[in-house]
Amino acid sequence: MAQVLLNGLFVGSFYALVALGYSMVYGIIKLLNFAHGDLYMLGAYIGFVVLTGIPGAAEVASVPALLVLVMIAMLTTGLFGVAIERVAYRPLRWAPRLSVLITAVGMSFTLEYGIRQIFGASPKAYPLRISGGLVSVLGAQISVAQISLMLVAALLMAVLAFYVNRTREGRAMRAIALDSRASTLMGIDVNRTISRVFFVGSALAGAAGVMAGAFYGSIDFMMGFSIGLKAFTAAVIGGIGNLYGAMLGGLTLGLLEAVGTAWVGGEWRDVFSFACLILFLTFRPTGLLGARVVERM
Amino acid sequence: MLAAAACAITVTACSGGVAGGPQATTSGGPLKFGMLAPMSGSESAFGDYLKNGASLAVAEINAAGGVNGSQIELIVEDDGCDPTTAVAAANKLVSQGVVASVGGYCSGATLPTLPIFLEAKVPMVIPAANSNALVEAGQANVFLINGTGTQQAQAAVSFATKSKAARIFILDDSTDYSVDLADSFEEQAKAANLTVAGRATLTPKEKDYSGEANKITTSKADFVYFTGYYQEGALLNRQSKDAGYDGIFLVGDGAVDASFAKITGADYTKNVFGTFTQTPDMLEGADNWIASYKAKFGAEPGPYTTQAYDAVRVMAEGIKQAGSTDMDKVVAALNALDGFATFSGPLKFTDKGTLSSGGFVIVTIGPAGTFILHDDLLG
Repeated sequence: MAQVLLNGLFVGSFYALVALGYSMVYGIIKLLNFAHGDLYMLGAYIGFVVLTGIPGAAEVASVPALLVLVMIAMLTTGLFGVAIERVAYRPLRWAPRLSVLITAVGMSFTLEYGIRQIFGASPKAYPLRISGGLVSVLGAQISVAQISLMLVAALLMAVLAFYVNRTREGRAMRAIALDSRASTLMGIDVNRTISRVFFVGSALAGAAGVMAGAFYGSIDFMMGFSIGLKAFTAAVIGGIGNLYGAMLGGLTLGLLEAVGTAWVGGEWRDVFSFACLILFLTFRPTGLLGARVVERM
Repeated sequence: MLAAAACAITVTACSGGVAGGPQATTSGGPLKFGMLAPMSGSESAFGDYLKNGASLAVAEINAAGGVNGSQIELIVEDDGCDPTTAVAAANKLVSQGVVASVGGYCSGATLPTLPIFLEAKVPMVIPAANSNALVEAGQANVFLINGTGTQQAQAAVSFATKSKAARIFILDDSTDYSVDLADSFEEQAKAANLTVAGRATLTPKEKDYSGEANKITTSKADFVYFTGYYQEGALLNRQSKDAGYDGIFLVGDGAVDASFAKITGADYTKNVFGTFTQTPDMLEGADNWIASYKAKFGAEPGPYTTQAYDAVRVMAEGIKQAGSTDMDKVVAALNALDGFATFSGPLKFTDKGTLSSGGFVIVTIGPAGTFILHDDLLG
């Protein structure tokens, strides 16, 4: 059982990282950014380009090297996120909600098939691999690589929580989430703050993408699709718009899936976990933390 | 009867026909051979191997005068290894007037095209797809050049027996081909008194299979047979070894690919084996053939190149023997073939349109990271 739970937490921490961006964007402009999962994929490919582009980069297979790579991917994916918002969402800020939803779907396809045209449809083997010895925790096998990735994910989430709750920019984000018109009147640069949210959310997804590439070892242009849907689900379970909810939701979904695989088999996993979610949302439509924390973001 | 006239001129092309008279119904144009192959998608590497193998055969046959005096024209359509795309592509081929189908790589994508070709009275020699479902469709116009799932499962069972597997774990990826092979393997393994410790199905196109890996280790298996494709196989192999599994990891032919070692990682290639049809580099006496392939395409031949090459040759022979492109006559001629030389040995079809001998071997990952011959299961 310990093994099942650990596996679930590991997958869950990826879901949580991606869910955060989903949740933040929804929190601030009430947009379901369907292209968000594809930023995860984009992050993985940016890492791939850096590794294949710089000779010898892939040889330094260590956790510090991975951290540098994660930083580069975060920065670049973040900038892509900002650009996507500028091009596809900002011009439609006051348009009907559905129109923006469709540009988000369009953006998702653009990214997926754009990457497919550039890199081809076949899965790519990741040049950098992190591996390490196995350690035993409460009778379960876990690799050092998994532990370090979970630590990195936890660290990123902690930094994010600090940024949103304790800094000036974070306060601006929370203010806009509450009332963007009033925030404008108070002298907050709304466009700039929204760009910051996209930067941070996309950067987190990019980080998750690189880490998944380096850990699992294969990337493909559709890798963001299913994790995007799952992260969205995680954000909703947690109470969309709520930061801690997204983290909690991601971990919950990961655990549900792991338990589902162990109990009813891999082919029934999604049936099991999503049936649980339907039940859960029937009884608690606002999600885990949605009602308790009134303030969004 | 243009072909009869053509026959009088190009005597060499027609003299090869032993039984069939030169009563072809073809009009003077080229014989269009259609090929469905994955030219895009995760299996696209195989699409090129199929296409090249077939083009080589077409070029050779045309250089030798064609079939019944007509040249062959190969038309390749992308099926993307996807049933919906494949159906559209098959309809496109039919509307272009193909007289024969020599394609089919993914069984799941090939299956729905069978009725389309039957409707259009087009005989099919399928080079790679080999699900039992294709055989069970019971269409007389379908011939499989690759060994079937049953034959592949047989090879896997003999390898399991040979390596003294005590507890076997079977995994499929929920696609037609994979489930079929796993079923067949499970049945034959039980019949051979092997212990099946567990069976599971994974969801393809995901990255995390730690749940499945956990099931393998808790089942205390020492022999795993995975019947899906290479990306999932490579991920599962790595993750099951991380979970503490150290037995034999055998994969079906869909997972035998050079990318397997790259994805799974160099430290994880130990004890990885595959059931596979022979590729040119494993065959004796194929050097000349490999050389002409390299001269034409500037690359090494790969998996299913020989099968695609043979599919075209077998189909051409069938049409030649039938002296016509009429489906019933070609089917009868193909059924009558006995001892026609192919890469998998002298050809003879069973009454179900499958090869009478499968030709599966056991491969393993060599030092260069590619699959090489491990055991031909003959001795």
